This record gives sequence, structure tokens and C-alpha cells, in this order.
Amino acid sequence: MSFIEFRNISKRFPGVQALDKVSFSIELGSCHALIGENGAGKSTIGKILAGVYTADSGEIWIEGKRVSPANPLEARTLGISMVHQELAFCPNLTIAENLCLGNLPRKWGWLDRKEMLRQAKALLGEIDCPLDPMLLMSMLTTGQEQMVQIAAALGSGSKVIVMDEPTSSLSAHESEALFHLIEKLRSRGITLIYVSHRMEELFRLCDAITVLRDGQHVSTEPIKTTSKEKIIHQMVGREVLFKAPRHREESLGAKVLEVTNLKGRQFSGINFELREKEVLGFGGLVGAGRSELALALMGLDPEATGHIIVGGKELKPKSIRSSMASGIGLVPEDRKRQGLVLSMNCRENASLAGLERFTHAGLVSDRQERECVEKYTSRLRVKTPSLETQVASLSGGNQQKIALAKWLVRDCKILIVDEPTRGVDVGAKAEIHELLDELACSGVAIIMISSELPELMNLSSRILIMRDGKLQGNLSHKEFSQNAIMRLMAGI
Amino acid sequence: MTRTGLLNSRYLRLQEGGLLLVILILGLSLTIFGGKVDRPKFELNSAGERQRVFTTGADGEKVPVFESCNKFLNAQTMAQLAKDTSFIAIMAVGATFIIISGNIDLSVGAIYALASVLSALVFHRFGPDGVSSAQSAVGIFLGVVTCIGVGTLAGIANGAMMIGLKVHPFIITLGTMAIFRGIAFVITQGQSIGNFPAGFRDLIRYETGEGLSLVPLLIMIIVAIFGGVYLTRTAAGRRIYAVGGNEVASRFSGIRVEWVKLTVFIFSGLTAGIAALLSIGYYGAATSGDGQGYELNVIAAAVVGGASLSGGKGSALGAVLGALVIQMISTGIVILGINQNYSQIIIGAVVILAVVLDQVNNWLSRRRLLKG
Repeated sequence: MSFIEFRNISKRFPGVQALDKVSFSIELGSCHALIGENGAGKSTIGKILAGVYTADSGEIWIEGKRVSPANPLEARTLGISMVHQELAFCPNLTIAENLCLGNLPRKWGWLDRKEMLRQAKALLGEIDCPLDPMLLMSMLTTGQEQMVQIAAALGSGSKVIVMDEPTSSLSAHESEALFHLIEKLRSRGITLIYVSHRMEELFRLCDAITVLRDGQHVSTEPIKTTSKEKIIHQMVGREVLFKAPRHREESLGAKVLEVTNLKGRQFSGINFELREKEVLGFGGLVGAGRSELALALMGLDPEATGHIIVGGKELKPKSIRSSMASGIGLVPEDRKRQGLVLSMNCRENASLAGLERFTHAGLVSDRQERECVEKYTSRLRVKTPSLETQVASLSGGNQQKIALAKWLVRDCKILIVDEPTRGVDVGAKAEIHELLDELACSGVAIIMISSELPELMNLSSRILIMRDGKLQGNLSHKEFSQNAIMRLMAGI
Repeated sequence: MTRTGLLNSRYLRLQEGGLLLVILILGLSLTIFGGKVDRPKFELNSAGERQRVFTTGADGEKVPVFESCNKFLNAQTMAQLAKDTSFIAIMAVGATFIIISGNIDLSVGAIYALASVLSALVFHRFGPDGVSSAQSAVGIFLGVVTCIGVGTLAGIANGAMMIGLKVHPFIITLGTMAIFRGIAFVITQGQSIGNFPAGFRDLIRYETGEGLSLVPLLIMIIVAIFGGVYLTRTAAGRRIYAVGGNEVASRFSGIRVEWVKLTVFIFSGLTAGIAALLSIGYYGAATSGDGQGYELNVIAAAVVGGASLSGGKGSALGAVLGALVIQMISTGIVILGINQNYSQIIIGAVVILAVVLDQVNNWLSRRRLLKG
């Protein structure tokens, strides 16, 4: 009998089926890897086990008993903890206070500081963590904070620890410390669920590996019987959903953008060119610096240095208005936070960046605004009851189209799209791909950042791969292969 | 598209429709439950001034004539209500600008006091006790400029400090609230300043009909129309909603967020200056204690009028109607003969009730959206 068993777990988020009848099991005391592309559902299943989400249907069995943790606290009493990316502690309190927060030691009703320190020291000692428990949480690095999270998990008597992409924001040195700790946890019989897409870590740490793809279970096998090649194949091996783009058949137009020696917050030494009718794909892992590059091109990185030349003229650095004036538009990664004003309707969102086009003597011409927005929303086939509908009530795909329309209203010449189909269902995804293709054919130069290989390979004319803030390779269309891209992304 | 446009405007009308309904119900119940009262009768004499009507009694003495009228629904009460509402409503429109942009301005009451006393000094100089021999028209002009200018400058100071020092507007305006009032106090030493040029008082107190002060009412209407047009018809107004709705997305759309914030603070200061001008003209004097607690009244009016403190929502018309609701309740307490001490409790409860009703309304419409 397996230790943990997932049976037909399904979970739906607005617009996406995140998990679709996923079943697999995990052995006691093993380190079990969950791997898959972005949106494959690997984090979702970890979060369901840890009570962050609840499954729509399906069952979880632990040691032959059915469990259904409704929240993280319940999961914790079942012996399951999660090491999060997000802030899990109160940054304004000390390590000791955070560690004991659930059950602060008291003496005569007063906080027993001595006892609290003793407990915290003991917990940190368990994992050989040298941190001073009196330090403020906000002073720690991500790696140190993870250590404290693990200490807290052990302190609450956890037998299972879920780690969600634990190394994605750690330095090499910090990662090494984490790997040591993981070995130690395993020797104590803790079962680990390790969510990551960094292949080399998995082969080093884990005993078994489960591959997920598009919310479905692909395989679960011991790590000994599989190989990197096989896993890559399992992760990406899927039918191509959309037809070949037309823009590749047309010859490239004039050079519109030239970037030399661009350096910013999380990247440096970036050089590339972009031509009309080109779709330039940017591949890489999360944290490779692609979104930061996009912000710098848009004039939104206050630390950016280097040269950005659009149509022969150099851009004023760090000025979004200069970037916009020269025809650059950005459909950002986080649609709800950066792309749209959710309290406004479709028309107001679509015209937000181009208001001055319909403004005469300060007054917005209703008719011109409506006509222009309608032209582009119908071209983008936005499905909405009316342009006056609140944008918050649209599906992810239609929201993304409104975010695109915002830049078309400005006649943008260089369009940067960052993860254009994240959180968008399959049908709308194909539609957005077609639209980007159409735009490229009509002469717009497109920079597309994507973490999905099929999307990159099917839509791009050329792919640049970034890793750790540097360009790692430039693949022309003929050189596209999932293996080649994966290798460049992961640096193997 | 015209059909949906029509639908939308109908929807908008509905939004303030709720408030109009509340005002109607309030008015009706005050009319019904207020009962009758005898008031002295007035008439216009040959010089055009209002004077009481007398008859000669049986013993040959002059006896004042009274007429019976509804306690609430009579010309005098209406005129009073219109005037009292005007002062708060003007500032509530300014507060609405601030609140839509996701900010807060606690200093408007203090700006009101500072603008009052500084312009009162100017008016006094050109008044009957003043030292200046210049024409009173010049004096009035200078006083008006001072009052509105002080309001505007105070708004600029608030906005510039908030942007430059990157401190939350609650803190900045909490500080300037004390600073502005403190300056007013130091300048006046707590004394009341009066004796303005007669022309100024006559202008603001110009009445028509049964004591209806036209000037405050007219200015309030102008401010409300200007605010409404600015918010709904101009690009700058649209940007205020955008910044309040989502500051990051606004920045990503090329909006100069800092500039937008500065303009709302300027507008808020400006409306405080305008209200101050009307009130010193009306009451004929200014002290550093004027406008105490107004900041909370105008925020309450804006919120009752549908502005959301989380930003992105509100309207100029709503602010005016919100001010009217609050003023009607204060008037109603007097008319119904309820102990004055209860008025604060009632108004406080109404503010909370208005926001809860708004949330229920939002929740209902969201549910309707999901079903549809």
C-alpha cells in the first residue's frame, strides 16, 4: 500500500482545467518529484495536498485513510506542510516569534520570552540552521526564509513536506545548502514532494518522478528507470493544436528595433535586432530575466542602461512615454495587476493608453472612442455582451484580447507580449496565436516571451533563449527543437 | 452600439437613482411627520426689502401676522437647506476627486479655515474699518483671489509633499491639517476678523424669493457640473478613475500617475477655498476655528454619494446628493424635535448604512452578472 495516493483529482480555475482526473501514488519516506511545463498543474496538486486549494472532485488517501484538508491548518494537523514561494511569515516579527506564533509560550498570561527563544533555538538546531532567532524575518534572504519554513514544518510534527520550486530564487550556494537539508530530512524519514522543472536537481535528489502535462497525469516512475530525454519528451510530447503561422512565409521587413548592450535589474549584455513581420520568441525559465527585459524596453526599469534604437532613433531611457511615442506596446505578464484596470469597462480599458487620440481640447469624443475601440475589439473577436461590460467579468482569453486592443488602438509598431496565453483556455489560446500571426503579417514586429515550448516553436520566426539574465542562444526556425531549447534553457 | 450606449446611461442613472429615492423618501417623511408650524409672514416693501407683515389689532396695537405652513416643506426651510448643503457639497465634490483616485485628504477643513482668515485679513483691510483707501471693488477682487489662491496652494503643498516624500496621503494631510489650522491661529491669535466691504457681503448674501441665497447655490451647481464634466468627459478625468482603479496598470499604460495625484489634491484645495469664500461672505467673519470637522463631513458626503475608499468609483453628482442626504438628516432632526444630542449618532449610523447598502448592491449586481 502506498503512503499517499491521489485518486482522480480534478480542479478547475476560471477559464482553465488545471487538473483533470490525476491519479498517482507516493511511497513513504521517498523524495517524489513533480515535473511539468508551466500550467501543467504540478503546483496545483501540491497545493491541494497542503490544503491551499481544495479539489473539485477526487480523493486523497494517506496510509489507507481518506483525507480532505480544507485549509493549510487542517493539512498541518494531518502532518502535511508546504514550503511556499510566497511570504508565509509576518516579516515584521522575529524568527522566534514567527516559529512560535501558533502557540506562544505563556507564563502567568505574559509572553515567556525565554521559553520562546529556547523553543525557536531547538527548532532551528534540528536542521543545523545557524540563524539567530532574534533576527527580524524581513532581514532574511529567500533561502534563509525557506530554512525557517522547514524548521516550522518539522516543529509542527510534519511527516510530509511539499516544496514548490524551492530553488527558483536561490543562489547556487543557497541551493547547495538546501540540498543538504533535504538529504537530512530524508534520513529522518520525512516524505518530500519536490515541485520543480530543473532536471538536474530532480535526478540528484529524488527517488521517483511524476510528469504532468496540461493538467493530466503522464507517468510516474522510479528515477532509475527513466532519463532526462524521456522526461523532456513526456513533458512536451503533444499534438500541435494550431496550424502553421503565415507570417513565416512572408519576407521580413525593415529593421525596427536594435538593442545594444542593454543592462537592467536582472539581466545584462543583451544585444538583438527585430524586423517588421518578425515574431521573436524569448524562451527561458521563470526568473531568467525575460520579463525584466520587457519592462526595460518599455521604459519601466529605473536601473536600465544601454541603447535601444527604434526606427533609427535612440529612445530616451527609463521613459515609458518615449517608448510609447516610438510605437512600442507591452502586454504584461500579470494581466490583472499590470494590464487592466478591473474596475473599468472594456471600452475604457481598451482606450486607456491611447486616450489622446480621441481628445480634443481636453474632452474625450465618445463617438470616436467607441468607433476606434469597436474596430479593434471586433478585429480581435472579443466576446463580450457590450463594450460597456466590466472587464472583470470577462474570461481570461477575452481579457487578454482587451489588453492587446489597448496597444492596437495606438497603432503600435512593436508589440511585446509576455506570456500571452497564461491562464487562458485552449480555444482562446489558439485564437490568440492566430491573432498574433495576423498582426505579424500586417507588419507589426512582435516580441513574444513564453514559457511554453509549443507556443514558442509554433509561432516564432526566431527564438532567443535567456538564462540567468544572459542570452544563451539564437535559434533560427530551422534549428527549432524541443530538446535544443530545453537544453539551452536549463544549461545542460 | 447606440442601444448599449442607451442602456449604459440608464444604468448610470440608476446608480444615483438609489440616492434620489432616498432623498425623496426622506423629504416625504419629513413633510408628513414634521407637521405644521406658524411662521411670521413677510412681504417686500417699496425699497425691495423683506419685512414682516403687521395688522392693527382690536386695541389699536400692531400685531404680527402669522401663517401656518408645513414644518419641512416651506420656502424658508428649503432655502436654508439649499444654502447649508452648498458649502459642504462644494467640498464633497473635491473630496470625491481625491477618493476616486484612491487617496484621502484630511486637511480640507484646515485649508478652509486658513483660506478664510487670510482672505478675511484682505477684506478687512478694504472694509469700513480698514486702512486702505482703494476702491472696495479692488479689495473684493484681491480677497477673492487670496481665498481661492490659498486653497489651491495648500492643495499643491499636500500633493507635492505626498509625491516628493512618498508618504501616504493620510499621514501627510493629517500633518497639514494641524499645520494649516495652526498657521491660521497664529495669524489671528484666535480673534475673529470681520468688517468686510459691504459690497462683498451683499453679493454673497443676495437673496431672491423667500430668502433663497442664490450665490452659494449657483456656485455649488457650477462646481458640480464642472466636476461631473471633468470626471466623465475629459481624458484627465478618465485617468483619475484609472489611477484609483489600478495604479500599476495605469503606469503601464503611460499615465503620469504623480501628475494625476497632484491635480486631485489641487482640486480638493481649490474647492475648500471656494467654500471658505462663500461662507465668510455669508457670515461676515472668519476665525481660525472655522470648518472644524468639515473633513469628515465631506468624506462622509462623498462616501454616501457612492465613492469607494478603495478608489476607482464615485461621481460628482453623487457627492452633491450625498451632502444633501446628510444635510436633510440634520434638518430633519431639528424638525422632528429629536434631541440635538442624537444628531451625531444618527448621521454616523447613516454613513455606515449607506456603505453597507452599496456593498449589498454591488454583491447583487455581481451575482446577476455571474448568472447572466
